[in-house]
Amino acid sequence: MADVRLVDIEKKYGNFLAVPQLNLTIEDGEFLVLLGPSGCGKTTTMRMIAGLEEITSGDIEIAGKRINDKPPKDRDIAMVFQNYGLYPHMTVRQNIDYPLKLRGVDRAARTRRVQETAEKVELEALLERRPSELSGGQRQRVALARAIVRTPSIFLMDEPLSNLDAKLRVTMRAELKHLHHELGVTTVYVTHDQMEAMTLASRIAIMREGRIVQLDTPKRIYSEPADLFVAGFIGSPSMNLIDGAIAGGVFTAPGVSFPVDQPDRDDVVLGIRPEDLEISTAPDAPVIGKLYALELTGESTLVTLRTGANSVCARGPADHEAEINAPCHFVPKPGARVHLFDRPSGHRLDGLSAKGQTL
Amino acid sequence: MLPYWLLIPAFVIVLATTIYPLAYSFVTSFREWDLTKQRRPDGFVGFDNYLHAASESGFQNSLWVTTIFVVTSVALTLVIAMSLALLLRRKGRMHTFTRIVLILPFAMSPALIGVSYRFMFNPEFGVLAKGLGAVFPALEGMPWLADPNLAMAILVLTDVWHWAPYMTFMCLGGLASIPRETEEAARIDGASYLRIFFGIILPQMKGVLLVTAVLKTIFALKMFDQVVTLTGGGPGTSTETLAFFVFNVGFKWYDMGYASALAWILTAIMMLISIWYVRMLLSDRKMATA
Repeated sequence: MADVRLVDIEKKYGNFLAVPQLNLTIEDGEFLVLLGPSGCGKTTTMRMIAGLEEITSGDIEIAGKRINDKPPKDRDIAMVFQNYGLYPHMTVRQNIDYPLKLRGVDRAARTRRVQETAEKVELEALLERRPSELSGGQRQRVALARAIVRTPSIFLMDEPLSNLDAKLRVTMRAELKHLHHELGVTTVYVTHDQMEAMTLASRIAIMREGRIVQLDTPKRIYSEPADLFVAGFIGSPSMNLIDGAIAGGVFTAPGVSFPVDQPDRDDVVLGIRPEDLEISTAPDAPVIGKLYALELTGESTLVTLRTGANSVCARGPADHEAEINAPCHFVPKPGARVHLFDRPSGHRLDGLSAKGQTL
Repeated sequence: MLPYWLLIPAFVIVLATTIYPLAYSFVTSFREWDLTKQRRPDGFVGFDNYLHAASESGFQNSLWVTTIFVVTSVALTLVIAMSLALLLRRKGRMHTFTRIVLILPFAMSPALIGVSYRFMFNPEFGVLAKGLGAVFPALEGMPWLADPNLAMAILVLTDVWHWAPYMTFMCLGGLASIPRETEEAARIDGASYLRIFFGIILPQMKGVLLVTAVLKTIFALKMFDQVVTLTGGGPGTSTETLAFFVFNVGFKWYDMGYASALAWILTAIMMLISIWYVRMLLSDRKMATA
């Protein structure tokens, strides 16, 4: 087991700066998720840790040792790839065995460890098959088995669940979480799926254009997004973001007025999550508009109203019914959180900045 | 009815230029036909033409020459094509340029290649003969095309030079279809470059290499143009390939019956190789899907 430190890491492709000056410390035993939209540099960052991508400048340390110039095999890491990267000409057993064989482990120990690992990921019955004879979920398990069989000090996982169907993804997610709990190995996990990030991570690093915009626990990222990007990225449906101004301790926008604890200013964005709003009939409700859409999700109904140029969504009870275009009022639930952001910079207004946050 | 009418011209052309001559040569291979004496094939002689081949030294020599030529030329072409493909796989600055240059040898007519190599290996004024002589003095004045072994080596060289680029493209295609993750996974798993090549890349290239080998084998079995323009089958009969020998029997000595039989022997060899190849490919697929 080990910690990973990235110090002023930079990656350039020709003139294109993919990752500028990144600093990140991944604690021993932590499950760190790199989350962001495609092209944000998360996979590049992971590949630099793996040694599959050269770093342009900066240092990478694993367990306190600088490993910039070490080839991937000497970094004591194991990686699970998005497309699994299984060896198609080998059986499942040979696939799992390969890293041990390369490391010169003796035959008896290899057989035992392959067996144990296969049992851990429930592959015992499939050991003599080839990858082409397996389903997506089974292939993913083989990839996992190949990664854990030699007990590395760091796991790197590059969108390992993105090729699976929705249902299997949820099951495998739970298995990954259990596996991490059982093995306790430091894990770096890349995904663009915020649900995966929220459920799996000890900490999430949200990336955008090569930079980490927020590094925090899933809980804090959800409850205190550092800027507009994070606020809009995390949560489904995403947070309502309404442009307006603060005057006399009240945030106002067309059809929206919220008392807030901030000095007067223009160019403010108010954010409130759909689950923090409820449907009301109160004539003085802070959000008033016309019903735009009703979407039943099963356990609840998403109610969207329009007011001025804004759409505001609330999560209502599953049995809520109303006519489209009928007047519709939302009030915050008791204990609801209201977030305020500076429009030009996107930063959160209540003192939290995007940088320098600690746990 | 119209579709069938429209098909007729193509059908007639194929019948007249391919099927009829094939059938005719097959029948001729069982007959005696000396073109200097008769305008039409003579009586049937059963398997005499084929049996004659089994004991005739000219044919046996050409079979031996062809075997040596095919084995060396196929092996060299494959090794060189695979190596070039590995080098060219990475997309560098010269990517497009190298690919254009690479296609040039393949665009040249084989007969012309033979002529130009004959010039280049002329001991008096050949640029390659002189150049090699300048670098290695021991080779100065070497009678390249007058030595049986060297002539064969140069014949192989021209063929490899002609075909390696095309086969390189086939290998490049094969390499491009290998998922990059398998190599990266092997690097992380701890494999050296050599091990990645032999243990991960080569097994995944099996299908492509098999196709390449069979195509190259069939092309090499037909080797004719360069023999005519480079060595004329010589010195002696040392570069008389099967195709060249069949041509001589038919159009120099006008023994059409025997020539037809020889041509069918060549065809049979190619068919056997093709069947073997399809079997290999099918068994490979079975292994992958069963």
